[in-house]
Amino acid sequence: MQYMATHRPGGGQPVERRKWSRFRYPDTLISFGVQLGVLVFLGVSLVYMDVRLERLLEFGQRFVALIADRYYPPELSLLSEARYLQAILDTMQMAYLGTLFGLLLAAPLAWFASFNMTPNRRFLYPFGRLAIMGCRAVHEMIWTILLVSILGFGMLAGALALTLFCIGFAGKLMSEEIEAIDKGQVEAIRATGANELQVFAYAVLPQVRVAWTGIAIYTWDVAFRAATVVGFFGAGGMGWYLQRYVQQLESQRVAAVLISIVLLVTVSEVVSAWARARVAQAK
Amino acid sequence: MAVASISSNRPFDHRIFAVEHQRRRARWRSAAIAGTVTLLAAICLYNILVIDTDWERMGSLGEVLTSIGRFLAVDFELIPHLVEPIIETLMMSALGTALGAILCIPVIWLGALNITPSRWIGYPIGRMMMTLSRSIHEIVWALVFVSAVGLGSLAGILALAMRSIGFIAKIIAEAIENVDPKPIEAIRAVGGNRLQVLRYGIVPQVLPVAIGVIIFEWDINIRRSAVMGLVGAGGLGLTFHRQMVMFNYPGVTTVILAILLLIILGEALSYYARKAVI
Amino acid sequence: MPILDVQDLTVRYSRTGPEILKGVSLQVDAGDFCAVIGPSGAGKSTLIRCINRLVEPISGRILLYGEDVTTMPTRRLRETRRHIGMIFQEFNLVNRMSVMDNVLSGRLGSVGTMRSLFKLFSREDIERALTLLDRVGLSDHVDKRADQLSGGQRQRVGIARALMQDPKLLLVDEPTSSLDPKIAREVMTLIRDVAREFNVPALVNIHDVQLATEFCNKIIGLQGGVKMFDGPTEKLDRKMLETIYAMEVL
Repeated sequence: MQYMATHRPGGGQPVERRKWSRFRYPDTLISFGVQLGVLVFLGVSLVYMDVRLERLLEFGQRFVALIADRYYPPELSLLSEARYLQAILDTMQMAYLGTLFGLLLAAPLAWFASFNMTPNRRFLYPFGRLAIMGCRAVHEMIWTILLVSILGFGMLAGALALTLFCIGFAGKLMSEEIEAIDKGQVEAIRATGANELQVFAYAVLPQVRVAWTGIAIYTWDVAFRAATVVGFFGAGGMGWYLQRYVQQLESQRVAAVLISIVLLVTVSEVVSAWARARVAQAK
Repeated sequence: MAVASISSNRPFDHRIFAVEHQRRRARWRSAAIAGTVTLLAAICLYNILVIDTDWERMGSLGEVLTSIGRFLAVDFELIPHLVEPIIETLMMSALGTALGAILCIPVIWLGALNITPSRWIGYPIGRMMMTLSRSIHEIVWALVFVSAVGLGSLAGILALAMRSIGFIAKIIAEAIENVDPKPIEAIRAVGGNRLQVLRYGIVPQVLPVAIGVIIFEWDINIRRSAVMGLVGAGGLGLTFHRQMVMFNYPGVTTVILAILLLIILGEALSYYARKAVI
Repeated sequence: MPILDVQDLTVRYSRTGPEILKGVSLQVDAGDFCAVIGPSGAGKSTLIRCINRLVEPISGRILLYGEDVTTMPTRRLRETRRHIGMIFQEFNLVNRMSVMDNVLSGRLGSVGTMRSLFKLFSREDIERALTLLDRVGLSDHVDKRADQLSGGQRQRVGIARALMQDPKLLLVDEPTSSLDPKIAREVMTLIRDVAREFNVPALVNIHDVQLATEFCNKIIGLQGGVKMFDGPTEKLDRKMLETIYAMEVL
């Protein structure tokens, strides 16, 4: 702070009086400008998109009313039907395969795409980066729709879409882990005459193993969440029922499906959080 | 114990044997894990590839390649019609993030251990809300809100807001829990009340984190807002859906390219914005 | 013919950056235990890292048994590195691997890639590793993880790893600066003794002049990337030291 007392408490020499103000020349102006810009943009958006805030206020009661007369009571008996249990199993299988293959492909791509350890700067590095970025940028639901239109309805499209999603999701996190490793251990292994693959296995992998395990669990979590929905766009699993009942306006069944999705995903999230905490502890 | 038998008071040959034995066991352990994973994968693959997939309908590899080939073109006529959905998507993501940031304040208040009004009731509720918000996929949120407020971007905004609450609240709550207690003590010492402690002791410390995470979430929300339209909540997703329904495959590619452009733009913007904040 | 013959070595880290080494030449003969001394920033570490090309020199020649290291293609370079053992200041053990695996990793250059990925080392390798671990005094720590050991013990693992390579030359980079004085002396003694036993010449970067004069038969003095002294330890006098360190020594 530039603030200074005009007199020292000890009653010594009076210090030169300085002016203090919150305003500081370019910084405050820029910061105000940015804040104003954000607010104006949000305001314009509200008007442009014709969002009525007053609707939001009455929304709470409408929401409760809606749930009360349309979605309540959820038709929970659906959840114990064999075909729905099969759909849950299908969902898990898609998520499992998507995560597994996604991770298997993400590991080498992450290695290629790490600027410190890439085995080949000219080709493999940009290739790895591009592959991971491409998988990441396209939303998993768009992957699903595209693959369904190419391969037809069913779990294959879903599993592939989840694979692509996992490559993008895990690949980025994994390559960031590689970029943070200790270079000394790499140097030591390289000095023994090891080739690039051996350097990866002996100097990189041991260092990132714990972090990668955590990432793998996290990826499963995210993939399972997505897997519950991919069926909505024709790729099998629970989402398939969701879509059917939404279209047939069978709201009580929709409610049951939603409840099962939320329940399963939350359970999976809690378990994976616990597992990740354990992995982090194990070091 | 293998560990003891490697130790130096045993004959050298025994120790070698012990080391080899241990290494073999470790290898078997890894092999067992790998085997289980592979077996599970094989079962899933069988179910998916053999039982579930209708290979005849998919046709030969040539036909699959042809159907991929249909996408390899750009529909230039569509581009002028993309401007409005792009703006809409961008605005939807911004409004959704902003609404999420506002709505997460009570959640943070409940779910940050050191400011929660009640450890036994408020805190678990706050934490549960965070988990619930994050664990439900944005498409599910969108479906819920489309049925509640009807088709259109309002549903998308609400869905993004609900989806964002969890992450923003979690990061900020953690930042508040890790706040440096010394400035708070100082404000207490000059006689500040609870609200003043919050305003002058906690907010300044947490603000950079909060702004950072909000910008980050906005970046992710751009990606999400582009699919809201798939279930009727406006934006580029709607255009995507229309092109898909009309079997205009080059149009589909064009929309995807537009989405990519928007995401790259958002990523660059959020990168610089976060750098400016930090 | 000297085992290692460095001629006119120049190094720059970036194209326009300052020269870290300015035309350094030196020779290491069979049986030499040769110290490189000099103040920090003199280029000692860079010099040693150049010899197995962990750092790429921009000009000069490095002849190992008459073959120029600087022009070797990657494959040949790896083969050459296999014969150069290296010991590091920060030990550079792979922390999350066992002591045994760390020592065995010294064989990576000689084991097939596939075998090494599954950690399939031969009985002879394991026997050798165990013998070396006994030699450096770590018989009872074979299956501990590297990060469970103390600094001195870790450096002993580092020494065993270097010897595992059956090296023709040892490069030793500040082996003692991360250790306390008593342990430092023990480790230094160990390195000198094994170098004699295995009949390997060594090039040792060392900051501590006391240790250098005590353990080494030959000394090279570096200052600001230029060689100031090169000769047997007896010839190094106080005046020379003052020149190298450009200040009062001790």
